This record gives sequence, structure tokens and C-alpha cells, in this order.
Amino acid sequence: MSAQKIFPILLAFFATTSLLIVTGIVISLVVNSYPIFLRDGLSFIFRSAWNPVREDYGILPALLGTLIVSAIAISIALPLAISLAVFSAELAPKSIKRIINSVSDLMAGLPSVIYGLWGLYVLAPALNQYVMTPLHQYLGFVPLFSTKPIPTNLFTAGVLLAIMIIPFASSIIREAYSAVPHHLKEAAYSLGMTRWEVIRTLLGYIRSSILAGAFLALGRAMGETVAVAMVVGNTLTFPRSLFDIGYTIPSLIANQFPNAEAYSYMMPALYGGALILFIAGLIINLAGLYWIRRVMVKS
Amino acid sequence: MRLNRRKIIDKIMLGIISILAIASAIPIFAILVNVYSEGAKYITLNFLIDLPPPPIGDGGGGIGPALVGSLILVLLALVIAGVIGFFTGLYLSEFSHTKLAQYAQMFLQIMVEFPTIIIGLFAYMVLVAPLKRFNAMAGAIALSIVIIPYIALNVREAYKSIPYTLKEAAFSLGVSAPVAYLRILLNAARHGVLTALLVGIARAAGETAPLLLTILGTTFTYFGGLDQPINAIPLLIYNFALSPYEKWHQVAWGAAAVLLTIILAIFVISRLIVREVKT
Repeated sequence: MSAQKIFPILLAFFATTSLLIVTGIVISLVVNSYPIFLRDGLSFIFRSAWNPVREDYGILPALLGTLIVSAIAISIALPLAISLAVFSAELAPKSIKRIINSVSDLMAGLPSVIYGLWGLYVLAPALNQYVMTPLHQYLGFVPLFSTKPIPTNLFTAGVLLAIMIIPFASSIIREAYSAVPHHLKEAAYSLGMTRWEVIRTLLGYIRSSILAGAFLALGRAMGETVAVAMVVGNTLTFPRSLFDIGYTIPSLIANQFPNAEAYSYMMPALYGGALILFIAGLIINLAGLYWIRRVMVKS
Repeated sequence: MRLNRRKIIDKIMLGIISILAIASAIPIFAILVNVYSEGAKYITLNFLIDLPPPPIGDGGGGIGPALVGSLILVLLALVIAGVIGFFTGLYLSEFSHTKLAQYAQMFLQIMVEFPTIIIGLFAYMVLVAPLKRFNAMAGAIALSIVIIPYIALNVREAYKSIPYTLKEAAFSLGVSAPVAYLRILLNAARHGVLTALLVGIARAAGETAPLLLTILGTTFTYFGGLDQPINAIPLLIYNFALSPYEKWHQVAWGAAAVLLTIILAIFVISRLIVREVKT
């Protein structure tokens, strides 16, 4: 009879580990970044500086880089993800639907270092030749395109991230789209709507799920490390256009970490960057989870 | 006239959706083709066994240490995360009414979305800084933290999907809870649990970011102990791809082809398991 009583306690012990790990991670970020915030306060976040010799750090460029890269990613990925979801749930025949869903699952499971390798040697040169250089030549007067592009820059990182998050966002939207009650669809058709008008109506119906998919995908994009580190250019300058080379917070950590031990404030600066990334990511992901849960309660 | 315009818009929009959908699937095929056309030609038995080549000069060289390192790291992570993840998932499914289960599930869902580099920073503080040396154990722990939520949430689904009548039947036999859950009901949930572990293996095998901060990876030895630096395939791809040497780029492509093959194999196996359940 004692096994009967111990078993739930044993299980509860294992379930507690996830709470401990998350707590441990938060503590490690706070404790290790404490010195830089103690010395510089919030100016650490809002200044542009990276001078290890003078122990002067400000991560504004990396923060802006993270925002720019994920904004590019989500604005490219969202229309494509919605199209992919609608195509698979509504337009494609059953046999093709199965293939599309498998391929999209495979894309979501591919290691990011493979995306990075491909991005660096295939995507970056192609984008540079066929997209970025023409844009700069003909629309260079627009501030967004004003920098003369080299293959690896913020824009390339944004496009590569878009490719990586499409299957993820699409699967959330696809699930919501397929879960729309059938009678709603029938009612829409019975009003004499065309197929596109029905699709538009249903997309309006699931807009909270689309929002949730967008937020969760944005969270992924902000936290991605190696794929971005391979194509973003890795230079801590203030970004002047989409085609400028730059840094994101994760790629800054990945790149600068090997040198950090040699200086007294670089390690705290990197942990500080991670703390800001963590807080931003947490807010975005909680928003996404909140919208998903709201949909689940409604249905 | 008006009806006509609506029909034309209908055709155009459906066309745009189809084109965008197909366009979004192009990159994956491009990646598969590029990785195999660039990398498959380097894969030989020696490539899988040998030490990496010197950056300049002759000699084929291979990815032996990284392959051994990846096997060790993934196996360790699977054991650690498998045990923690399995029992956590079981708790989430069978004691879902408790406050602890609700909080644990929320934390796990947040953990799935964690930037993995942050997990690397955590493992660095806990296991690298005190030892003052990059080591295999830190890498394995970091990987297991990455995959615990995947395993736990999938195991939860597996146990949740067991029909209630079956659970009642198991307990009506008068056996103790461990026997009911781990012998009788595990049998019913085995496909889901296996899929959970496979998802974990695939994640651990391809994860790079936390390894940058924990295992170092530049070593040219196969395995020197769990307290020593070790290499891994994704880390080798990252380091070699960013190196200035053409020769190392080739090794990176070859290693990417090996990694992709491993991921594809796991993917196909888990698909087959899911299909077997459905029929």
C-alpha cells in the first residue's frame, strides 16, 4: 500500500523540476547581470557602445537589430503562413494536404544550424544579387535601402528567420482554421459567397489564433541564435538601414561569449542582454499563449 | 456585371493564396537539394571516423570526434530528460487537477519557447564556471533542459489520449498505481511515449546554441571524460562554416548532410509510428 502513496509524491517531485529550472534560469540571469545594472543603470539598455578595453557596454544596437530582424521576419512570414494554412486546410486535395503538412512539420524540425549553413552560402548571395542590390540601385534614396548591401546583413537574417518560422505560425493557424464549426462555413456559402469571400470571413473568425501564431512566431524569431549569427554580419554598429550589417542579442552573446571571461564587465553585459531578451520574449509568448487559451475557452 | 467582378476577384485571390503557399514550401526543397548536392559527396566511412582535416593541405579528414561527441551528448540528454520528462508528463496527465500540475504545465509551455542560448548561459553558470573548464556534462545538461518540455508535453498527450474506460479497467484489477501506470497503461500509450522520445532526440541532435557556451568543441580528441571539452556535429558545422578555410566549408557541408540524414530518419520513423496508431 505504501507504493500507492509514494508514487504521486514521486511524480510531483519530477513535475517540480520544471519550476526549479525556470526559477534557476531567472536567478542566474539576474545575479549575473546585476553588476552592469548596478554600475550603469538603465543607460546600459539605451546606449550604443561596445568597448571592452574601456569596459563600456550598451546594447541598444543589438536590441534594435533584434527588433528589426524579427519585424522583417514576421512581416514576410505571416502572409505566407496564412496562405499555406488556408491552402492546406481549404484548397488542397486530401492527398496533397497530407504531403504539405508533412513537409511543413519537417521544416519546423530542421536544425537551425542547417538553415544557417544554407542561409550563409546559398540564400545570402542569391538575395544580394537578385533582391538587395537592385533595391539599393533603384530605390537607394529610400532610407530603408540606403546602405550598399553585402550578402550577410540584417535583411538576410530577417528573410532566413521568416523561412524558419513559417511552418510554425502556419500550423497554429491551420489548426484554428480546421476547427471552425462546419455550420458557419455552410451558412457563409448559403449566402451565395464566393470561395474567397468565405475564406476571408473564416480568417476574420479566427483572428485571435492568427494573432497568437504571429506572437509565438515572433518570440521564436527573437530568440533564434545560430542561424542569425551566421548571416547577420556580427558588427555592433547602430543600424542605419535594412541592409546594414548588425547584431541581435542572441548572436551578440554567441559571438562575444568566448572573450567575455577576459574582462570584468562583459559577462554581466551579456547576461544583461539575455535578461532583457528573456523579459521581452516572456511577454510576447504569454500574450500568444493567452490568445490561444482564449480561443480554446470560447470553443 | 457585379457578379462577374466578384468571380474575378475570387479567382485572383485563390491564385495568390496558392502561389504564396507553394512559394513558402520552396526553401525546404532547396535546402534538401543543396545540402545533399554539396555534402553527400564527402560522406565515406573514413569521413565518419577520422579526425577533422588540417585547414590547409591534403588529407580527407572527417568528423569522427564530433559524431562520437554528439552520440554521447544526445544519449546523456535523453536519459536525463527522458526520466524527468516522462514522469512530469505522467503527472500532468493524471493529476491535472492539482495546482502544481497547472503551474508546471504553464512553465513547460514557456520553456518550449525559451531562447536556447539562455539555457546555455544557465548551464555555463552552474556547471562550467565552477569547474573553470568547458565540459561534456554541462552540454548534456543544457540539451536535456532544452528537450524536457518537448518530452513532458508529448507524454502528457499520450497518457491523456488513453480512453477513460481503459484506465478504469487497469485500476479495477486491484494493482498498485505504479503497476497500472507503468506496465498496463504504458503499453497503451507506448506509441505516444516513443514519439515523445524521438522528438527529444531530434531536438537534442540538432541544437547548437547552448553548446557554444558549454562544450567548447574545438578539441581534436574523441572523448576525454565527462569533465572535459567535447565536440558535436551542429557545433562543428557552425564553427567550420564560419571559418575562412574552403576545406572546412566542405567538411561543414558533409557534416550537414550527415545531420540531415539523422533528422530525416527520425522524422520518417516517428511518422510510421503515428500511422500505425491511426490504422
